[in-house]
Amino acid sequence: MSRESRTRTKAGVLVDAIRESPVDRQVKKYRRALLLGLLTVIVLILAVFIARFSKDRPMTFADDREHYLYGSIGSEPGGSISNAVGGVLPPYWIFVTLPEICPEKLPGGYASLGFIYENGRDLPVGISRRFRLGFDQVGLNCASCHTGTVRETAASERMVYPGMPSHQLDLQNFFRFVLDCTLDERFTPERVLAEIERAGGSTDAFERFVYRNQLVPRTRESTLMLSRRLSPLMANPRVPEWGPGRVDTFNPYKAIQFNWNLAALPPSELIGASDFPSLWWQGPREGLQRHWDGNNTSLQERNLSASLGAGVTPVTIDHPNLERVAQWIRDLPPPEYPFPVDQAKAARGAALYAAQCTECHGDGRFRQGTVEQAKASLKGTRVGTVEPIARVATDRHRLDSYTYDFAVNQYTLYPDSEYRFHNFRKTGGYSNQPLDGIWARAPYLHNGSVPTLRDLLEPPERRPRTFYRGYDVYDQRKGGFVTTVGAEKGRRFFLYDTSLPGNGNGGHLWGTQLTDEEKDALVEYMKTL
Amino acid sequence: MMSGPKKRRWPAVVAVVLLLLALLAYGAWYKLFRQVPTVFATDEQHFKYASIGVEASEGLPYWIWMSLPRICPEMLPGPGGYASLGTAWEPGEAMPIGFPVKTVGFERVGINCATCHTASYRKRPEDLPTYVLGAPSGRFDAQRYIRFLFACAEDPRFNADNIMKQINSVTRLSWIDRTLYRYAIIPMTKRTLLKQRETYRWMDSRPNWSVGRTDMNPFKLRVLKLHDDATVGNTDIMPLWNMNARNGMLLHSDGLSKSVEEAGISAALAAGASRDSVDVPAVLRVVKWVRQTSPPRFPFPVDASLAATGGPIFKAHCADCHSFGGARTGTAIDKSEVGTDPNRTDHWPQAAADAFNDYAKDKPWDFNGFASSDGYVALPLDGVWIRAPYLHNGSVPTLADLLEPQEKRPKVFYRGYDVYDPVRGGFVSSGPEAERVGVRYDTAVRGNSNAGHNWGTALSPEEKAALVEYMKTL
Repeated sequence: MSRESRTRTKAGVLVDAIRESPVDRQVKKYRRALLLGLLTVIVLILAVFIARFSKDRPMTFADDREHYLYGSIGSEPGGSISNAVGGVLPPYWIFVTLPEICPEKLPGGYASLGFIYENGRDLPVGISRRFRLGFDQVGLNCASCHTGTVRETAASERMVYPGMPSHQLDLQNFFRFVLDCTLDERFTPERVLAEIERAGGSTDAFERFVYRNQLVPRTRESTLMLSRRLSPLMANPRVPEWGPGRVDTFNPYKAIQFNWNLAALPPSELIGASDFPSLWWQGPREGLQRHWDGNNTSLQERNLSASLGAGVTPVTIDHPNLERVAQWIRDLPPPEYPFPVDQAKAARGAALYAAQCTECHGDGRFRQGTVEQAKASLKGTRVGTVEPIARVATDRHRLDSYTYDFAVNQYTLYPDSEYRFHNFRKTGGYSNQPLDGIWARAPYLHNGSVPTLRDLLEPPERRPRTFYRGYDVYDQRKGGFVTTVGAEKGRRFFLYDTSLPGNGNGGHLWGTQLTDEEKDALVEYMKTL
Repeated sequence: MMSGPKKRRWPAVVAVVLLLLALLAYGAWYKLFRQVPTVFATDEQHFKYASIGVEASEGLPYWIWMSLPRICPEMLPGPGGYASLGTAWEPGEAMPIGFPVKTVGFERVGINCATCHTASYRKRPEDLPTYVLGAPSGRFDAQRYIRFLFACAEDPRFNADNIMKQINSVTRLSWIDRTLYRYAIIPMTKRTLLKQRETYRWMDSRPNWSVGRTDMNPFKLRVLKLHDDATVGNTDIMPLWNMNARNGMLLHSDGLSKSVEEAGISAALAAGASRDSVDVPAVLRVVKWVRQTSPPRFPFPVDASLAATGGPIFKAHCADCHSFGGARTGTAIDKSEVGTDPNRTDHWPQAAADAFNDYAKDKPWDFNGFASSDGYVALPLDGVWIRAPYLHNGSVPTLADLLEPQEKRPKVFYRGYDVYDPVRGGFVSSGPEAERVGVRYDTAVRGNSNAGHNWGTALSPEEKAALVEYMKTL
């Protein structure tokens, strides 16, 4: 190993075989150490950076119920930082502080929209938290639309039922608030950072840099895209409000997944709001025609499709976490009626039910025993099949909002994977559903146009024309929620108008010819389903 | 002294470089050109979803095909993605009928015979479509489809960032596939589409094809590269069935050829297959199948006694030209005699037929039978009920209208709505839904005339009704 010193001159390279001086050697050594150190630091920074931004970790819950209520199905934005995809909500800290940034737009916080906060948690039921793309993100999960509350009286404790339709949740105004506030001029990086500080979150210099240059601008960008695509639904005087407990399942999907210009669709196709269904006792429902119009018989596809609605994409979805939810709701029993039942009266009702209802809706055996026994109880019935619209004669808007052209486009979702949709079908009516836990599934009919079971047994002209939705005190006499309360503690409820398109309360005349006593008995029996 | 060790090292270096190059070449071949045949067990599936050789020459990379409706939605006829173009799309299928996906290095989307030769009908507006294989599509707008691809390719939104964002939100491609898409496939596709767009410029100076129609001019001008004679060749799609019974008859509305095989292969070339990519065995499997298929029966009740009265009327007025075995069936009737719009027969000169017959001299499937005629072929009327609208240019919406003199035939109507009118024999062509879904057809436009074919127009209303009833049974 000879060390040479080279000198370049006009004549060429002179190679001098003289060894370096000790000073030279020392200098070189330092230089090398410095270079090595610098390199190590760069590599370390890169490693930390990559580790941070490639980390994808949901909050985990040992308990299945907690997982259902708060666990992540992957609806937080994901992909990569250069190309974030999916998600409909802003990052955790922005989400938490939004009500402080636009206080007059949501004076009561998210709770005033019907979100359920359990004992001091930072996030309500239905909002999941997951570390992704270098930050804490939030997303919607199944529980947001499928967890309901019930109170005996205004003074009673709220009972929370996972799997129950979130009849109290005003999803449309929730979206409106998020879209509205993230486009507000107060929604600046400085304000966001100040609110985070006030709310007890700490940010380091790097994070503040990312908030300024990435998170806040990206939130705005995503809001602009969503508002543009959804405005024919959300800001269209011809499309009635969803109101609490309802969602238009498929129209937002046309705009968000496929970028269809909704404004070019026939106006009546844009009216698709319908009630959230219950999500318990799913195992026995495999093979039944699901969704209000019965457009899919596969539970797995129904779950994956609903997840798209919550904001997942085929690459950001968390299949194991979703599967855990699917398994849990498979066996989740419908809740027992929590108030007293007049057994003698219910027994009289049982006979009426058998004559009037069982053929299409099954009976009390559906909620008993194993999944197989429940399925067996439906044998010989028309449960889970589609009743032609001409026969059921309820409002047809929801049916018409789901089109053949839309179904064929759905077949391109989850492409190139075992999950690709192939079971969706356009149908010609509404599906007959099993009535397990029907007491908790008010208001009734697919569009929630009839507030109580007792009202449903009246002919349409005697059903309430307008009523309040969203209030969770139970009406034990009629079987449904109290409909006469317009506001409570700052929360305003929604006046549902059955004369608006999509809100019609006609049709489903079965049972309307019974006597008043018979109807009361029938309602009493249905509380036990 | 110095050259000794170097000499010994050279062969090794060369070998390593060659090996690397070979690996690279293999990789490039595998990722860009390797062909995986599309194999289907049944002839029906083959007809609907198999490649006829379009993908290698003009196929669109699958992930780009999937992304384009989401990137340029307003360039389609309406919301609905490719469904808005009137594609036939079966429940549960990942692709519409007639849009085969074939791996040529990577998955590419082409078209095949079924794209234009699959009809749909509905008995009532609320019904789901019933698809009829081999019947002429009354809904698919082939011209709109290629124009959509060109328009989107010309748009600044057609760029690697946008398309990769779409792809990355629906699937997880490998690093190498992402790189290939971003730096090779997307830019190449854009360039190819823009180049193809130039070969279709001639369309801009002619009336639109509209739904359910095509033109032989793409073949004349793009493949044979003949000079642009400004002719209009817009014509309805032909039915593909009962070809054995058509042996020896002239095919195409203006009688270009007598050979089903040649018609099939030439149609594959017109659809975008090249001389080298055309999959002749796949086309011939379709030909063999359509030799023995038969049209579906009329799906509504037929008034048997009325139809029985119509039988002799048909025999007297129509059978000579339109029955199997008729004296003039399958021959070209001179345009002066039939009197229908002359544009289509004028668009195919002898020079085109000659060029066609010379086109594939070196191939085993060399064309020999192409000819030119001065009229239109009197076609057998099997399954005529679903072949609406009528005449070669689809200018008369229903059988009942065809039996009226020209001045009483509709001047303007809508094509592309697939609800059937069981009384008049044809698709519903007016009313709000037909207007919303369909495309306006104006008989005053060049090539669209509804004149001529006056046979039967002098019959009494009762005779006409009986004749229409009889034709529903064909």
